[in-house]
Amino acid sequence: MTGEMIAFFILALVAICGGVFMIHSENVVHMVVSLIFTFLSIAGIYILLSAEFVAVVQVLIYSGAITIIMLFGIMLTKHDPKSEKRIAKSRILAVGTGVVAFFIIMFLAINKLSFKQQDVELYVHNVKKIGIELYSKYVIPFELTSILLLVALIGAVVLAKKDESEEMNEHE
Amino acid sequence: MELETIRSYDWGIMAPELIILGAATILSLADLLMPKKASRRYLAIFAFLGVACALVALFMQLDNGVISILADTYRFDSFSKAFKLLFLIGTGLILLLAFDDRKGERDEYRGEFYYLLLTALLGAMMMASSADMITLFVGLELLSLSSYIMAGLRKRDRQSNEAAFKYVVNGGISTAITLFGMSYIFGLTGETNLYAIQNALGDPTILQNQFLLVFAFLITFVGLSFKIATVPFQMWAPDVYHGAPIPVTAFLSVVSKAAGFVIMIRFLLVTFIAAPGVAEKPLLQEVQPYLAILAGASMIIGNLIALRQRNIKRMFAYSSIAQAGYILVPFAVISGLMFEAVWFYLLAYLFMNIGVFAIIQLVTAKSGSTDISSFAGLYRRSPWIAVCMTIFVLSLAGFPATAGFIGKFGIFMSALSTGAHYWLAGIMIATTVVSYFYYFNVIGQMFFRSEEEAGKVSIPGGVLTVTAVCVISTLVLGILPHTALEFFYNQFDLSQFFTPTK
Repeated sequence: MTGEMIAFFILALVAICGGVFMIHSENVVHMVVSLIFTFLSIAGIYILLSAEFVAVVQVLIYSGAITIIMLFGIMLTKHDPKSEKRIAKSRILAVGTGVVAFFIIMFLAINKLSFKQQDVELYVHNVKKIGIELYSKYVIPFELTSILLLVALIGAVVLAKKDESEEMNEHE
Repeated sequence: MELETIRSYDWGIMAPELIILGAATILSLADLLMPKKASRRYLAIFAFLGVACALVALFMQLDNGVISILADTYRFDSFSKAFKLLFLIGTGLILLLAFDDRKGERDEYRGEFYYLLLTALLGAMMMASSADMITLFVGLELLSLSSYIMAGLRKRDRQSNEAAFKYVVNGGISTAITLFGMSYIFGLTGETNLYAIQNALGDPTILQNQFLLVFAFLITFVGLSFKIATVPFQMWAPDVYHGAPIPVTAFLSVVSKAAGFVIMIRFLLVTFIAAPGVAEKPLLQEVQPYLAILAGASMIIGNLIALRQRNIKRMFAYSSIAQAGYILVPFAVISGLMFEAVWFYLLAYLFMNIGVFAIIQLVTAKSGSTDISSFAGLYRRSPWIAVCMTIFVLSLAGFPATAGFIGKFGIFMSALSTGAHYWLAGIMIATTVVSYFYYFNVIGQMFFRSEEEAGKVSIPGGVLTVTAVCVISTLVLGILPHTALEFFYNQFDLSQFFTPTK
């Protein structure tokens, strides 16, 4: 077993454990913390694949920005510390069977995976290449993404803005 | 890439999209700069003019052949123009509906609504005119995100909040599933261009992964079925259609649904057309039984649950699930008649469904409730409105001399033409008969019940135009369907759809 393999197994284990803890945890803050572990270990896997740029972006956007947004969301909303009511056993069983079946199918399919000739030098000038592709060949989806972000921004403002009438009610 | 190469592309072909983008930008600025108390209602007219200009621009481009910009990240071909036409007409009619929607009383967030509608339209148009996975996905997300916000714009309305929340959560799950499927397709082929993927799937080393490919196809299909609201992703539709403002409901059930079919057909057909399946048969033939089961289940579930609905918006939500099931039939059986059957049915569905929602908006605004009883005695109060509603409902039920009949007939023929799909055609007939019960229930309310409340329903200008256009189109497409079909045959060239640009 090579060092790369060992590193991969550790990272993958941490990522999966983070996900499982997130689902099982009943405290919102614990959920966010376990999610950070998942995000960071995925970034580690990217580095193993010599995709440094994606790894850095993963740390910046997911472990940084998204986690902070979630913490803000937790701070700014009311939430009951009590957990929700229990889900029925039969439902857990049904979902569990589905997950296991899905895993078996995907596992069998992935086991026999074969690829055509791989590019071996993808990591050379990684960031430069991504930049050139993004601003020349993929400039249309890039610009479209900026409109997408604008829409998201407007939506956030509209939905979060305090209405004048509400303010007046509070002053009364 | 040199600047020269970028300049050499025919950017003028993007005119319809750029006009919509420009109109949305100007509207957002106008909304920002206008005095706070000023009425935003008239911004709808500007938005409508924008859509009309884009439509004119599209008509001027109709004679162009295939034009591709930057490796098909933007692609103008007969498929894109045929479906962009539907989106533009649908959104134009919905803007007129929104102009007269006064249920909100206060004008706040009207401005936002108009330009979010335009950005949603932009997303849909990009989905129609691209052959690159990344652009398709960004377009899909632009459409979805704008729709989530539109569904929740009525902030003080609890139902609207619930609708937006359910829509966002379900939409997020479906996006994750779609992306998971797409990631396998990309991972196996290493390409994002649909024609390059089609080509790469002929590679024998990749072909050893047929099993995974079939799975990727099914996962992507399931994820995309959210947009068209069919089984297994149909359960968001009733709650969201019920809670959202009526113009938004009309948009979701017509334009957004058509966009879902567009991305499904474009993405799945172009990439997998030549891919072999696990056994000897081609992949598309191998997955047919599964798609047919999903289509059948949508028809059965939609029509059966619609029978039990007392709320008119929920009833038409289930009806739209069933209608999406019908449109899925030609895709599931993949016959040569597929494109015209889908296109014509979506065109007919556009007019009849927007018409229905226009009248629901009028009647429910008058009575203040969305229960079916608000239609009681409508014929005695306002005969013309009742007659129009009857025409739309008959068309949705698929009666002769209406557009719905021709559409259903086309789908039925495409199901029979490939053979071995008689049971699917059978389900279609059986569920259509079931659907008569609830459609006729609406008609029965209008004609045979005594009115619970007096008073004529007055019809404002915008809704009047929409209703008139929809009635005329429904009847014309029903009696003279060749007007639309001939246009389609002249403009649509199947070979453009499957072959890459040279």
